[in-house]
Amino acid sequence: MSNRKNYGMIIDTRVCVGCSACVYACKSENAVPEGFCRDWVVQETSGSFPALSMENRSERCQHCDNAPCVTYCPTGASHYDEYGTVQINRSRCTGCKACMAACPYDARYVHPEGFIDKCTLCRHRLEKGLETACVSICPTRSLNLVDFNNMTPDSRALTSGKEVYRQKEHAGTEPRLFWISARNKPGA
Amino acid sequence: MIESAREIISTKINPGVVPHLHIWEWHIPLYLFLGGIAGGLLLITSAMIVMKRHFGFGPKDEGEGCPCLAVRIGSVLSPALLGLGMLFLFLDLAHKLYVWAFYTTIQPTSPMSAGSWILIAFFPLAVLQAMVVNRKYVEGLGIPLVNSLIAWGDAHLVKVALLNAHIGVGLGIYTGILLSFFSARPLWSSSILGMLFLMSGISSAAALMLLLAPKDERHIYSRIDANAIWVELVIVGLFVLGGITGPANSHGAMMHLIAGDHLMAGMPYMYWFWGVFVLCGLLVPLLVEVLENAGVHLHLPPIAPVLVLTGGLVLRFLIVFAGQTWHTFM
Repeated sequence: MSNRKNYGMIIDTRVCVGCSACVYACKSENAVPEGFCRDWVVQETSGSFPALSMENRSERCQHCDNAPCVTYCPTGASHYDEYGTVQINRSRCTGCKACMAACPYDARYVHPEGFIDKCTLCRHRLEKGLETACVSICPTRSLNLVDFNNMTPDSRALTSGKEVYRQKEHAGTEPRLFWISARNKPGA
Repeated sequence: MIESAREIISTKINPGVVPHLHIWEWHIPLYLFLGGIAGGLLLITSAMIVMKRHFGFGPKDEGEGCPCLAVRIGSVLSPALLGLGMLFLFLDLAHKLYVWAFYTTIQPTSPMSAGSWILIAFFPLAVLQAMVVNRKYVEGLGIPLVNSLIAWGDAHLVKVALLNAHIGVGLGIYTGILLSFFSARPLWSSSILGMLFLMSGISSAAALMLLLAPKDERHIYSRIDANAIWVELVIVGLFVLGGITGPANSHGAMMHLIAGDHLMAGMPYMYWFWGVFVLCGLLVPLLVEVLENAGVHLHLPPIAPVLVLTGGLVLRFLIVFAGQTWHTFM
């Protein structure tokens, strides 16, 4: 057990149905302005007909351990917090957009009020010991909030023996979102 | 054999992010262009001062050990153009009231943080040098503090100019490095971009001085310009070569620039790059200036420096726009 938190997510694409409940829960919880989103749903179809496979997944900021947005932020507005997540201090953000150019996941946007915005992993809920809004609403338990410093047996069982990947790992960003591939589905 | 397919449908809707990154518009290319010229002007004027003061080379001296009219004007234009560029940089900020945040911290890993301090560090010595070489006008204002600063600057002008030459090179390289640190943008992620923008800044600055210089001083700046264009052409070649021989990300991004049909102001990138930048902005002025320097007087209006300046501006727009319209690092 570690006192230091290190939050991330394990996302089970096998059971994601692409319902977008996570997107609307996030918009509602975080007052995301109309026309913007902090998380989104991707449907990827791959293979050769007729052997096609489809993966639904809910994407957001990857809260990287080696986040380029934090590296390149000229004012320290983008920073790592005590939960191991990447946050933006709005009162230090100049809206220079360097972090947007630096992010290989295009996870950020310019908020209509001028500062840069993105998924906070519902930090305000983590402080109260709650799960993120997207995790709490997910009807198929595809989304799982995990403290990687204190993994429970259930969290370990999620990935055990399965094909798990991280996005654009070769970018060297050490993303903290882990994806259980849809290729683990029976018959895939 | 049926080709393997990969189709992605996303509900991401953020403007400025989809369908491609669109965060930097005209402000940033203009800032990079003006910053490059400011750095180039500071380098050239400083070098001319050192040559005159230390080695005794250079065009006419009006008895003050300070060379030629073009140096006087260039020394003033350098900080003035950088100031204008910084105004465009400020206008690009989405959260303008928080601009002070740049100057309450030093973020060692952020090139933009280093750059914001370089921009401030640029002014004191550049302005001092401009005052010293224009002292016959400035001293007339009768401000004692300014006059004593000019006297100190005059006594140490060679050292000040040597330092300024380095700051000018630093600024020129910085305008390229600013982009090349973004490894998520494959076109920008090239360390030679710093050298390309430096040489483009020097050739543009020489072209500007060529436009401003009186007739008897023009041959100096024409030679500087021709040499800078020649080196710039080599660097453009290396930049293109580095892209097309690189991995898929870099190759695709470079082909998007040099053979892409994405439009900028109604014309595909490919025509902007080869037609406007390389042919009109580099090859034609190089030919004109080489002929002029060889004694073949074409009796043309000052078309070569105007073309060089246009090419430098187009280069910044092309690189900034094409870097954003090509997809993010895969």
